[in-house]
Amino acid sequence: MSDVTNDLPEATGRRLEELEKGLFTSDLSVNEFLLIKEVGFHPVGFVMGSSIYHTGIQTRKWGQSLELTKLTEAMYNARELAMTRMEEEASELGADGVVGVRLDVNYYEWGKDAAEFIAVGTAVKAEDGVSRLNKLGKPFTSDLSGQDFWTLLQTGYFPQGLVMGTCVYHIAHRGIGQTLGTTGQNVELPNFTQALYEARELAMTRMQDEATQLGATGIVGVRLEEKSHQWGSHTIEFLSLGTAVSKTSDEVTLAKPTTIITLDN
Amino acid sequence: MSDLPEAAERRLVGGTFSSGLSVSDFAACLEMGLEPVGLVQGYCVMHEGAYAMGGVLSRNISPFGASGSLSPSGSGYVQNYQCPHGMISTEHRAWGQNYEQTWVQDVWNQGFTSAFQRMLEEATTLGADGVVGVIDSQLPLGDVGAIEFHVWGTAVKVLDTPAPTSAPWTTYLAGQRLAKVFEAGYVPVSVIAAVSSVRVWAYCVTEYLMEGFAGSMWTNSSNSSNAIEIDQIVTAQSWSRQKVRSLARAQLRGDALHGADLRLAEREFQKGDLQIEAILRGNRIRRFKDFDPLPIPQPTVRLS
Amino acid sequence: MTNDLKAEVRRAVASLEGKPPKADSTTSDLSIDEELNLHAIGWEPVELVSGVSLFSTPVGLWNWGEGEISSASQAHALAFRYAIERIHKDAADAGGHGVVGVHIERRVYSTHIEVSLLGTAVRPVGAGRVEASNVFVSDLSARDFTMLMVAGWAPLGLATGASFVYAPRRSMSTALQQQSQNVELRNYTDALYSSRESAMERMQRVALDLRGTGVVGVKVVEGPMGFAPHAVGFAAWGTVVRLVKETHQFVRPSMVVSLNDLSVAFNAQTLH
Repeated sequence: MSDVTNDLPEATGRRLEELEKGLFTSDLSVNEFLLIKEVGFHPVGFVMGSSIYHTGIQTRKWGQSLELTKLTEAMYNARELAMTRMEEEASELGADGVVGVRLDVNYYEWGKDAAEFIAVGTAVKAEDGVSRLNKLGKPFTSDLSGQDFWTLLQTGYFPQGLVMGTCVYHIAHRGIGQTLGTTGQNVELPNFTQALYEARELAMTRMQDEATQLGATGIVGVRLEEKSHQWGSHTIEFLSLGTAVSKTSDEVTLAKPTTIITLDN
Repeated sequence: MSDLPEAAERRLVGGTFSSGLSVSDFAACLEMGLEPVGLVQGYCVMHEGAYAMGGVLSRNISPFGASGSLSPSGSGYVQNYQCPHGMISTEHRAWGQNYEQTWVQDVWNQGFTSAFQRMLEEATTLGADGVVGVIDSQLPLGDVGAIEFHVWGTAVKVLDTPAPTSAPWTTYLAGQRLAKVFEAGYVPVSVIAAVSSVRVWAYCVTEYLMEGFAGSMWTNSSNSSNAIEIDQIVTAQSWSRQKVRSLARAQLRGDALHGADLRLAEREFQKGDLQIEAILRGNRIRRFKDFDPLPIPQPTVRLS
Repeated sequence: MTNDLKAEVRRAVASLEGKPPKADSTTSDLSIDEELNLHAIGWEPVELVSGVSLFSTPVGLWNWGEGEISSASQAHALAFRYAIERIHKDAADAGGHGVVGVHIERRVYSTHIEVSLLGTAVRPVGAGRVEASNVFVSDLSARDFTMLMVAGWAPLGLATGASFVYAPRRSMSTALQQQSQNVELRNYTDALYSSRESAMERMQRVALDLRGTGVVGVKVVEGPMGFAPHAVGFAAWGTVVRLVKETHQFVRPSMVVSLNDLSVAFNAQTLH
């Protein structure tokens, strides 16, 4: 993780100043806003971070399935940079954490080998003034919606940070001889299976490592995304994302939920 | 009895009912004590006339061209725009106009009303009290400049009431939404549809602004910033919305328009020469009982 | 609600025979659910209202230059301001105190920027008129408006901010060649960053001018211009709110587990 002390562009300063003076902005819906308030948090400001990263493909051996480690690093660093800047904005505002984090990638016509990685979310602060910074002394991040945040807190768990693991994998092209040999048969393509399996495992393991670093007991809302970005179909990035959580209280306020059947379609 | 086609009369005499209702809408009907008695519809094909949208002559006629006499007579909205430049040239559009295309509105009204009336006739034949789940569509037919109007819905009888003596009530609503309307103290009276059509003949300033010459001498910009509002088009756009609303209001006669839907269609012939059509649909409803407001609903969080 | 729906329907239909009651027509695009929500807090719909504006931008504005495209940002801001003023007037003329559920349509063309607003004006039941400048406009649904009011917050208006910028001129391939692989392209980052922040800051300034304490439901729209891919635009908007009761009123939701099965729609086209 890059250890960057405030490298936010100048324009950010003015905007954050206004937020510090008391105005809050949030991309939470009204529902989420009300639920955040219910559990004792208040939105402080819409925060974002981005970086434009070169994502050019390195030379690769056609016949091998392997991880493209340089690209993995690049994908990871690009997102880390974006997340870190977003966290910096949140710290600047004195926030305890960021909810509803979204990671997006933008491609531009004028940048064929580059992409913009963006992280956005709403920074929140606990109204009781008790710090909720995580083990690394940073605001917690999470991609939980307002509803999920509320529900999680009812269980006595608290988010520690958005964790991610990534792996860019190149899948070997099968030789022509092999292709012709299996045409017309229903055969598993072992190359692909093995490659995809490995790649996903790598991504998830790395994500879990991040959670361990945060001293978390578990990860919720894990999802696995696959992107080819602009590399063609034989090179895929596997991105594993989730929110690391820790138990903070034995008190579980979950009342027994009512069961309903709605009559709308 | 009517001007319904013979085939329609035969279909309506047959025993089983067909209906466009979904399963949940059907269930809701039964809950309300409404018995579906059949699918009813009406059609009408109208020729748009030579001057209307897509019409043979509309594209090239200009009010100040050789053929001249198109300037609409006193009826309807007309607004003139005069060139401020004092230039005389064949390319410089010294004069422009916004005007209401009353013939387009008339064609639409006649087509819709005829199709609607035919649908009501079918419903009356079935002895229905009302028609729910009404859908209307307008299909342009090929290059002949004709439009086919189609209005259809599900005719229903109100159980345990005497046979109807007046025309059926109609509504776009169906299902639970209709049930809630009744529960809220409203009764549907009729579907409402109104259309407004305005044609913009750009004058020089509008044309230049639409071609991106803001900030030049042609657009009279006295302010240093280069952003200028395109007044002629804004006026036409605003007018089209106001007009269609007042046309719908005229049909309400004191009742309320509920669940309105406003659609706008814009067609550009060349820079600044536009046609703006607005269609407003909704349900005319009336209070039949006083209503106590509901208590504030209890919020819930769903665990899915 | 009522116990005997069938009886109510019969009564309703029977009432059509009589003379219609004298009433002032109202028009609204709210659904019955939304209307009932409004009534629960003592508000009612009044009229379907709208506001439109088109601002021209000079041709050649989008040719590749440097830094912010301020004329475009200005035109965007003005188009919103005028459209909002017009819908304020429309609502005030109809006797409304605010407009909810506003559909916002904004389109950026190479020669002009267009904003079109449409919504339903509402007011407390039976209230008198207010000045156009006191009307609030919001893209919050009537339902969200109700929930906010119950919690003690009132909407003050719509805040918008936009910024358009050129991507840095130095060609991307040159930039890439001059740097080793897999690094951040700082020039580009800074240019887009600044623009994004400017758009948000402008939105915040509008919120402060309205004397709000917060902006909720912020939507951010960004991307290259279709007609000029080297130009990128950022726009943000949301509803400005202010706490009007002494303190925030908690809603205390209860949890439910729905027994509906989420139906899966089978779409044959996905087999291609």
